Parts: sequence; C-alpha cells; structure tokens
Amino acid sequence: MAADGGSFSLGLPCVFSPKSRQYLALCAQDGRLRIWNTDIKTLNQEYVPSAHLSATCTCISWGPCRKAKEGPQRKKRKSDAGQVENQVDLLALGTAAGSVIIYSTVKGALHCTLDGGHSGGVNCVQWHPEDCLLYSGSDDTRIVEWDLQTGKARCKWKADRASVTSLCVSPDGKLLLSAGHTIKMWDLETKEVYRKFTGHSTAVTTLRFATTRPPDSNGLYFLSGAAQDRLLSVWQVREDGKDKNSVVSFNLTDEPHHIDLLTSSSKDEAVRLAVVCKDGQLHLFEHLLNGPCKKPLSPLCTVQMTGVEDSPVPVPLLAVALTPDNHSLLLAYGNHLQPVMERVEVNTAERHVCLTRDVRTTLSLNMETTVSKVKTPVGNAKSKVLVPGLPGHQAPVKGALGSEKRKGTDAKEMSIEERLGKIKMSPEKGVKGAPSLQTDNYAVLLVQGLESKDINILNKVFHTRKDNLIKKTVALLPLPAVLPLVEEITKRMQGHPYTAVLMVRWLKAVLMQHTSYLASLPDLVFQLGVLYHVIESRVKMFHKLSKLHGKLYLLMTQSPLTKTMLQVTKVFQMRILITGRRMRPWKTRRRKA
Amino acid sequence: MVAHAEIRVVHRGGSKINFREPVITNDSRFLLCASGESVKVYSSSSEECVHDLQGHTDLVSGIVRNPSNHLQVYSCSADGTVRLWDFTDGILIKTFIIGYPIYSIYVSENHGGVVFVVVPMANDKSSELFQLVAVHLPRSEDQEVEARELSAVLCDVRPSGAASFGREGEYIAAAKGLQLEVFFFKKQKSYRFFLKPGNKKWAKNAFTCVSCHPKEDCIATGHEDGKIRLWRNFNQKKEYTYSTLHWHHGAVNTLQFTPEGTNLLSGGIESVLVQWRYTQETQMDFLPRLGGAITHIAVSPDGSLFCTSHSDNKITIIQSCVKVSAVIQGLVKGEGVRTNLMIDPRSKALVLNGKPGHLQFYSLHRDKLLYNLDIVQQEYIHEEGLDQFEVVRAAFDTRGDWLATVEERTQKGSELEINLKMWAYDEKTQSFVLNTTVTAPHDDQITAMCFSPSPETTMLVTISFDGHFKAWLLADNSDTTAEGASWSCDFVGGYHLLKPGCCCFSADGSLLAVGFQEVVTVWSPSWELLTTLSQPPGAIRDLCFGRLSCSKYLLGTSTKNQLCCWNLLTCSLEWSTPVDVSLLQADPLSENMAAFCSQSGCSDLFVFKPSEPLPLYSQRALCTGKVQHAVFAPRDQMLESCEEHAQWLNRSQLYFLTQHMDLMTFSTKSEEDRLLASSKRLMVDDSVAVTPFYLLLGKHRQQQEALTNPMAERIQLPQGSIAIKELLYTPAHVLPSASFLCSMFVRSLLISSSPAREEKEPVEEEMESEEEDSEGEAELRDARQDLGGSAAWGPGEELGAPALTKAQERELRRVKHFDHSWLSSLLEC
Repeated sequence: MAADGGSFSLGLPCVFSPKSRQYLALCAQDGRLRIWNTDIKTLNQEYVPSAHLSATCTCISWGPCRKAKEGPQRKKRKSDAGQVENQVDLLALGTAAGSVIIYSTVKGALHCTLDGGHSGGVNCVQWHPEDCLLYSGSDDTRIVEWDLQTGKARCKWKADRASVTSLCVSPDGKLLLSAGHTIKMWDLETKEVYRKFTGHSTAVTTLRFATTRPPDSNGLYFLSGAAQDRLLSVWQVREDGKDKNSVVSFNLTDEPHHIDLLTSSSKDEAVRLAVVCKDGQLHLFEHLLNGPCKKPLSPLCTVQMTGVEDSPVPVPLLAVALTPDNHSLLLAYGNHLQPVMERVEVNTAERHVCLTRDVRTTLSLNMETTVSKVKTPVGNAKSKVLVPGLPGHQAPVKGALGSEKRKGTDAKEMSIEERLGKIKMSPEKGVKGAPSLQTDNYAVLLVQGLESKDINILNKVFHTRKDNLIKKTVALLPLPAVLPLVEEITKRMQGHPYTAVLMVRWLKAVLMQHTSYLASLPDLVFQLGVLYHVIESRVKMFHKLSKLHGKLYLLMTQSPLTKTMLQVTKVFQMRILITGRRMRPWKTRRRKA
Repeated sequence: MVAHAEIRVVHRGGSKINFREPVITNDSRFLLCASGESVKVYSSSSEECVHDLQGHTDLVSGIVRNPSNHLQVYSCSADGTVRLWDFTDGILIKTFIIGYPIYSIYVSENHGGVVFVVVPMANDKSSELFQLVAVHLPRSEDQEVEARELSAVLCDVRPSGAASFGREGEYIAAAKGLQLEVFFFKKQKSYRFFLKPGNKKWAKNAFTCVSCHPKEDCIATGHEDGKIRLWRNFNQKKEYTYSTLHWHHGAVNTLQFTPEGTNLLSGGIESVLVQWRYTQETQMDFLPRLGGAITHIAVSPDGSLFCTSHSDNKITIIQSCVKVSAVIQGLVKGEGVRTNLMIDPRSKALVLNGKPGHLQFYSLHRDKLLYNLDIVQQEYIHEEGLDQFEVVRAAFDTRGDWLATVEERTQKGSELEINLKMWAYDEKTQSFVLNTTVTAPHDDQITAMCFSPSPETTMLVTISFDGHFKAWLLADNSDTTAEGASWSCDFVGGYHLLKPGCCCFSADGSLLAVGFQEVVTVWSPSWELLTTLSQPPGAIRDLCFGRLSCSKYLLGTSTKNQLCCWNLLTCSLEWSTPVDVSLLQADPLSENMAAFCSQSGCSDLFVFKPSEPLPLYSQRALCTGKVQHAVFAPRDQMLESCEEHAQWLNRSQLYFLTQHMDLMTFSTKSEEDRLLASSKRLMVDDSVAVTPFYLLLGKHRQQQEALTNPMAERIQLPQGSIAIKELLYTPAHVLPSASFLCSMFVRSLLISSSPAREEKEPVEEEMESEEEDSEGEAELRDARQDLGGSAAWGPGEELGAPALTKAQERELRRVKHFDHSWLSSLLEC
C-alpha cells in the first residue's frame, strides 16, 4: 500500500468546469493556473499564485455554480432579465505547502486562502455540493473540513495511517470517500467510518461516485483508480456490509489520469464513463451497474489523436468531458501550456477512432483571438476563385434533354477512337508533308501538340501573330483535330487577357474555316457552352469599358492642350514683365475662365 | 385566448453597453456601465460581469461615483429616478424619485448632497429643450425618497455628454451648438462665449464635448471639424482666450482630462485614442486601431486605467495609454442586422453580422460575444462616407461543415460588387478554410440563400433580384488538380423574368420552393419545374415547408396580409387566413411554426402546427415595432414540460430581436425553477486576501498581539503576589495548614479568567472597606480615578483595554496600601 505519500505520479491537475463545461482549469508545469475558455478556445485568465514555485498546485476543484442573483420577493416584470445559465466562479487549489487557495474567476483574482489546516501537502480538495464546505485531504493523513463562510477549519480528523490521496463527496452530500491505506467511507454528520474497502496496492488517485444513492442502499456504487494500475474498480456499497471486493473492473491501457462520468439516476440507466490514460488515449465505457461482473470490461470505444506530420506523432489527450446529449465529447489535447479544446462527435459504433489534428496551426490561430476577439479563418491560395467567364461560374450548358447528354458522351468516346486513328494517320501525314511546305509544318506541329498536349509545341504555335499563317494552318488542319483545338482555345481564353488576345485570332480563323463542321456536331451546345460564357462575360463590360476609354481619351487629349495653354500664359507673363504693360486680352481671358 | 402565465418573455441580453460613459471604481477593480434597464458591474481584469444591478424601469441614462462614498454609485434613468447602489455587493441602497425623465447626471465633490441632472424643459417628453437642474437629495432613512427640491442651473443644454465641472466645483461648463456657457456657483452668474459659424460650412464649428481641467482654470472643448479648443481666462465677458489643437479629421466625440490634469485624452471616429500633454500640446501619444469609433472615454480616479466605449458596443480597458488589457464586448450592432439570425450547428452560437466585414458568434447561454469571424479580410477604414465591403448574407449547412457568406459593396451610381464565399470547416485546424470565392455570382443583390438539407448532395441556392436563382454544387474534381472539391454552378433558373424573393428547401431536400413575386415555383432536384402555386394579390414574403408529420404542407406569407398553406400532394390551397405576418419561422426539430404578426405598432406571436386549426400558443403585444429577426435554437437537453401550451418550448427555444435590437426569448416557469433549484448561492468569506504585503503586515500584527498579551500577564502577576506577600508577611503561627495554603498559592499563580476576577472583586472591596480612613486617601482615589480614566481612554485594543485597566487599578490599590504603611511608618518614626 502507498505508505510513502507523494511518490505516486498524479498528472498535472486539469479540470473542466461543471455543468456547461465553459472553462478548463489547468495547472501547468510552470506552476501557473490557466483558465481556458472552451467556447472560444482561448486563454481566459492566468493566475500566478504568490508561492507558485515553492508550493506548487497539486489539485484543482471547481466550486458549485453561482446563482444568478434574483431575490424571491422581486416581482417579475414582463421583459425581465432571463435566467442566464449559471456562472461558475470559485476554484479551490490545493498546494504542496498544505494551504488551500480559493480563486475567483469572475473577479479574476484570489478570493481567499485557507491556511493552517495541514502540515503536509494537500492531495485532494472537494467541494460539498450543497453547503459552503470544502474538504481537503493531505499527506499528514488528515482530512480537514473547511467552513468557507468564516474561512476557518471547522473539523479536522485523522483519516488513515497513510497520507490521504483522494476524496469524493457523494452527490447528496452525506457521505465522503477517502483513500489512503484503505478506502474509507465516512458519514459526514458524525465523521465516523461507515464502510471500509480494501483492494488497491498502489495509491488511489481517483474516486468517483457512480450512482446517486437510491432508496434501497444496495444500488450505491463508486469507482476507484490507482497509480500504476491498469484497472478501474467499481465497488458496491451493500446493505449487509458484505462488500469487501470490487464488483466490476474496467480495462485500461495505462493508469488513469482524468475521468469523467455521467452518473445514472435510475436503475436501468447505464453509467457512461470516459477515461483519459497516461498514454494519452481515451476510453469510453458504458455499463449498467447491477451486481458483480467477473471479467474486466473492455472499452466500448477508444479515441486516439495524431498530428499531421509526415510521420504521425500521437497528440496526447489531457482531459475529457461527456455531454448529456450522448454524442459529443469535449476534449482537451496538446500540451499543458497550450491545450486545444474541441467538441467532437464520436461514432461509438467503431471500436477505434483516430482523429487527425493540426495542433500547430490551431494554436497559431488561437493566440491572436485573446484580446481582439477576432478570428481569422484560413484564406489560402488553394481556394478556388470563380470569376465571370470561368467554367463553374455559370451553369454548364447542357442539352435540352438527358438523352442527348448520353449521346454526347458517346460522341466523346467516338472522338477518342477517331483520335487514336488520327494518331496513326498523322505521323504518316507528317512524314509526307514535312519536306514539302513551310506552312504545313505549323499544322503538323499543332496536331502533334494537340495530341500529345505538349505545352511547348502549343505555345510555339499559338504565339504567331501573322493572320495569314494562322488562316493557312487552320485550313490545313484535319477535321478531327478541330474540336481539340477549340477546347485548347477555350482553355487559353480563360487565362490572362494577353493570351486571350492571341487566341481570338485563332478562334476567328477556326470559325471562318470550320463552321460547317462545328454545326454538324450533335453536342454543339455542350462543346461550345463554356466558350460562349467566356465571350459573353468578356463582352459584358465592353460597353462600359469603351465609355471609359472614350472619357480617358478625351482627358488625355486635353491634358497636352492645357500644357500648351500654360505655356501660352507663361509667355504672356514674360511679355508683361518685359514690356511692363498689362495686356488686355489676358484679362478678358481670365474672366472667361 | 388563454392567459399563459407560465410563459414569460424575458430579456436575454444584447443591450447597448456603450450608451453612456462607463465608470471605473476607485480601486480600479470594477467597471460600471449602463446597459439597457440595468447597470452592469464588470471586473476590469477578468472581463466578467460580476453584478447586474436591476431596479430601473426604463433606460439607464447615466452613472456617477458617489463622491462621498467610494463604494457607492448613483445611476439615473429615464423612469425619473436616481438610485444609489452598493456595487461591491450589488445592493440598491436608496431610490430618489425626481419625477421627470433624466438624461444625464453630474456630481461634484464640492457640492455634497446635491446631484445635477438634465431633465426636459417642459414637462412633456416630446420637448427638444433640456435644462440642467440641481437636486438636493434629502437625508432620510427610507428606501424610497422623493426629491422635489430642484433648482435650475443652466437652461438649454444638450441631453448628454456636454457639461463638466471645473476646478473644485467652482463652475460648470456646458456647450450646445455654437455656444459655451460657464456658470460660476459663487457669483451665481454665467458667461456665454460664442463661436463664429465657420466660413463655409457653418455646422463645422459646433461644440461636441466639454471637459474641464481638474486643477487649473481651463476648459477643453471638442468640435465637429476635429479641432480642440482650450479656453482660458473665461471668468469675464471680454478678454477670454483660447488656443486650438487639431489632429482629428472627424468630429471629436469625447474629451477627458486625467485626474491630475497632466494629460488630455480625446477620441473620435478614427478610433485612435489621442493623449495630449497639457501645456506641451505639440507632444501627443496615440493608441490606434481600437475598433469602432470612440464614443466615450473614462479615466479611473488614480489615472492608471483608461477605458473607451466604442460604437460597436464595446468597452476597451487600457492600461496607462499603452496596452489594451481587456475588452468587454456586447452584441455588436452596426446599422442593423443584414444577415438572418442563425445558429451555428457546431458551437450552438447565435450568428449574425457583427463588426463591419465580420460575422459575430454570440453565446446565447452566457450572453457574451464569443468572437468575430473575419469574412472580408480587408482593413476597415474608420471614416465617414466610405463604402466598404459588408457581410450581408450568411448560411450554414445542417451539420456546420459549410458556411456560405455574401459580401457586398454598394457605391452610389456605380456597379454593385458582390462576392460569394464558401468556407469549409476544417477539423484538423479547427477553423474555417476558404474553399471557393465567386465574384459577381449575380448581377444584382442576393436576397436569400439556403443550403440543401439532403445528406447526399451539398448544394447551395442563391436568389437574386436579377431574376435568377442559382444552384451551386460541391463537385469533386480532384482528377484535374490536387485541390480537392470545389464549388461550381449547377443550374440557373428563372420564371418569366420575375424577381424572386425567397426560397426554402423541404426538410429532406427533395423539393425547392422559390417565391417569384406572386407565384411560388416548386422545383425537383433535377431542376424540373414541378408546379406553380399562386394566391394573388400580394408578393410572397416568406416560405416555409412543414416538418415531420406536416411535411406535405408549404406555408407562405404575402405582403397583402395573407398566410397561406398549400397541400403539396393535391397542389391546392389548404387554408389561408388574413394576418399580416412579418416573419415566419419553422422549428427545425418539431412541426411547429412561429409567425410574428405586426398589428398597430405592436408584434404578436402565434405558434401553430400547419395541420391543426388552433394555435398552440399566442402572445399579444410582444413588443413594440416589427419583429424582423427570429430563430429557433435547439436545446441541449429536452425539457419535459407537460403543460400543453408550453410544449412547443420543449425541444428548442425561440429567440427574437426587437426593433431596439434587444435579444428576447421565452422561458417557462418550470425551466426557471429548475435553474433556480440547480444552483445554490455560495457565501464565501473573501476578507482574507493574502498578498505578500499582507503576509508581512499580518506577521507584524501577530507579533504585536503576542507582545500585548504577555504585558497583560505581567501586570496580572502582582495580583498573584498579593497572596504571596500575604503568605510571607503574616506570622507563621497564624497561618493555616500548608496544604491549604499551597492550593491557594498555586491558584494565585494562574492567570485569572474574567469570571474568576469578578469573584475576586468583592473580596477586594471588603479589603478596601477594612482600611482605615486616612488623610491622603481622597486625593489618592482621585488620582486613581484619573489614572484609570486615562487608561480607559488610552489607545489600545477594545478587548485588551478593560483587562488592562482593571489590572492597573489593582496595582494602584496595592501601591496605595504600601504607600500608606510606608508613610505611616515614616510618620511614626
């Protein structure tokens, strides 16, 4: 048994606030208490206890919710302020020096310290659910009951031979569990031992009531976990006192660090349990507690988390909170200095869930929000931009009927066949035509480029500005190569206006030469739809642009005129200076102006 | 209609917190601001609301510190009362009934028991003229006191923000229009100074704000044209002087001297806090980019904290003009809500447009802004008359994976610029990632937008005034590039070139209804026009498909006061009623529909099922004005309410925004009871805050206590020595047996507790009476009384003092005894 207090390894304290889980209180390695907001996922407060280096914080516990202040005698008016969800306020911290600190999150400051109760380090603090009482267990083997209204220890008793490592107050506030050498159940009214349980060989780190006490006392269960123990044990408090051994145990992969549990209020409701182990895995259990169960239960679902690096590194989970709506979990993961909180919907039908998270980006996104309260979503270069004219901006032009569409696909297949045939044909053609004519060369090049989709060849071909050459090339083009050419032209038309200008010549030539062929195509609308949209959107602004052009032209022509006017006036002034006489025409001119 | 006593309309927040100047408390720990009908106390370090001081029945229009008690504040309200609060505990101390609506309040340390309030000149509320009156607050023990002792100080002042007390409360300066008026209390005389209406635009010279130097005779005034004038020598009509400072390019909204008068703070639309050094006005410090336009500045009494209120419903707390330490942000209100109210399926937050170019996420449960999401991602320039991009539409898909936003920039006489952006929620980075931007998706304004709820396809439909609706489809074109899925247009539809106004998907996404003016068109997913429904006259305003068991119904409201319900199976009108429905909202989790009707300037609510003829719930006169925005927010936990008329609130909660942008909701009695029962008020003593200083001081005090205690013991020792001396001085043969003496001796050594002392006193008195009268006795007794008196008066702890004096008395008595014997022996000799 754990006689040497403090040697067991408790994880760093990390607790979600009760009820709405709005905050996560976390005491990191540097001894500071940080409170994170789970809604915004940012740091809410940071508190440095005055002796944070000498007396590190060993345990945290959130106080019960603060009531929204409203006197019962106040008449409720019609548009009265509604009951805002209860706000959590106080946080009790136990320190290694033996004092208990109460911190107020609403005020963002220390509320009070409870001193002089313990001579050893505090291992566990627990709030009473109803009264203003706080219980703390310590290495000095004692439990202290603090009265918070006075800030004094109300009661103090020796609980065990070994140090008290864990405490838990029952939901009805009448029983207290303490773990030291053995697990003891105390009646809080008389402070007498009600039951004793033995079983763990190492220090018990976790105690939790699994059920609220039902009318017949056989239904009270609680749960315990110990250091270096890969089992969570469930104990039944029986009426007859024959409750020496644990009734159920849950299998884990490592010692439990953080557990959350939804107690069942009725007999036929299963207890839901989520356990975060030391190795950073999360196990979910669901079990209906009725009597003993021999085999250790294995988890219903295991959740792991990895980073996005090339060699996936596991991201440790820190804490978990179950939500009453059965689907989602609130997770905290990453490191203790900068945890990331997230609400996840986990599919419990799968036994193993692996989540991939980019922790670094998340953190860099989070840190800016704290003061400015502005989140900037990622707007990277990968996102697609649709401007008028690009395919996708307008609906693709389809044939009037679905059947035609099918035909179109047939035609495409046909064209591939033909193209294959052409591949055989074209080299022969090239061989034939190569030595004879210069202009023919271009057509061959173009056909080759279209078939092989070689950008270099196509660029070379499309960069000609000679209208004659273009005309001739297009005229010499074999018919099956026309459609690929049109496709290429439309693709290039969508690009930069400069290339579009070049392509206009080619398009013009194609339309002049091959209109009859294009018109004979059955899926003409489909093939040329994109081209049509491009042209339409480009032309849409033409009217306005030509207007602008006209105005600019006027301006441009006037500006040199005004320059010459200025020169004229300068000449006039020079003349005035020279002659010392004012010229009448100058005056009249000014008046006109 | 049935009286629904159990369902209340409750205020859920969203009130303005920038309405009036906030107040920082003396210890700089709290910040108080007027928020609707209550005063909110915020912690200046944690940004949390500590108390909500409720009691006023109308808009709170001003808060000031009580100059005679630093733990109290006065607040005034348009309900005609001034209330005195204890803000540390959140208790209403006193209510002073003035009887006129109050628009602002001023106090001065040198005018004790008097508050200065601004009330309308005439009794009727509609008058535009206001006067500043001094109200003598009667000293009375009652909770509610009528303060009728009013005396007019200044006539014709601005309702708020343009008056300030000068050095030691000697004068008060107020400005309105082009006139500055200074009233001297001693002389009971006021001087008026006029500015010339500027040469071109006359309004530019008008005063906007006033602040007086706390130590010197100097008044700083702010002006419309951005100038600050410092007035001096104003205690006479003629020879006053002023100097001008100019940095702001817009109007100076607010001015404030720091408590020592070393600096002058000013702020305006530029959202830059400017700090001018007094007497060295060329040196300025700036704190730029604070957010919206600065409307008020407040300084803590020790000058360490500044706080600025901004037009976007925000209060910034600034530490010594260097660092923004905290931001208290309410529901952001711009010119209005352009987007609809939405609920983010992931965070369950209310989403609407917030800061310019942002979407705000607002927690309904906590009445707190979570964050603003930057949609436009362009620097917003705080200047008047600029047209900048604003978020006008937004929509979430059912799972919260996609967010579509429309941003728009209108410029007079030029093209409308519209961008449609699709954002994907990336789980890996836990943030929205831009997927596709569509520039100019439509030629005209987009009036409505909705995602298809069907799980197979991810589809968005946008409706525009250009006569078309467009369907955008997420297409996986990963074969062409490595980019993954992106959006593209799938279909463009229209109906006889009519302008569409609204659209709605059925619950399973199998039907799309688009309202083209008077005609409702129903489309299939393969974009066939299935049917048209029409019920003229009046254009269709809202469309809603029924859910669950009522999914065969389609409801529509028209501008000509009609609510129609069509049966989609028969394509015929099922029923229609003549009501003017301003808003129709469907609950996503049940069959219920909520219809807000406007009737004679008030809004009514009807909750009904399309299949049933009787409404489930109705509430008349919900609020004044039209309700334009409402949303059903799903509950985390289903309520189990058995009352029939409250069942519609079981699955989700209905929120709506009133005309004044207050967020209201409905709550049932059982829900409130549950909330009340689930929480206990925790009383925790917080008197022992431990600081390093306290640790030192506390140790010192403990030592002192330890020092005083031995003193008392030592003084008590002689009392013990009585027994010893008696024992020693009495002859041995008269002494009783040693065993008896021993116990007495030991007891005498013990420190006597108070009852023991009382027991002993009579014995001593006996001894006293045994004494023979002597000459010096009277004098000595006097002296003893004096000494005792002085001891009683002397400094010392209340508890320790009586014991001490008793002991001293006894010692004196002893001394007297001894002196006597000694004297007598001397005399005998």
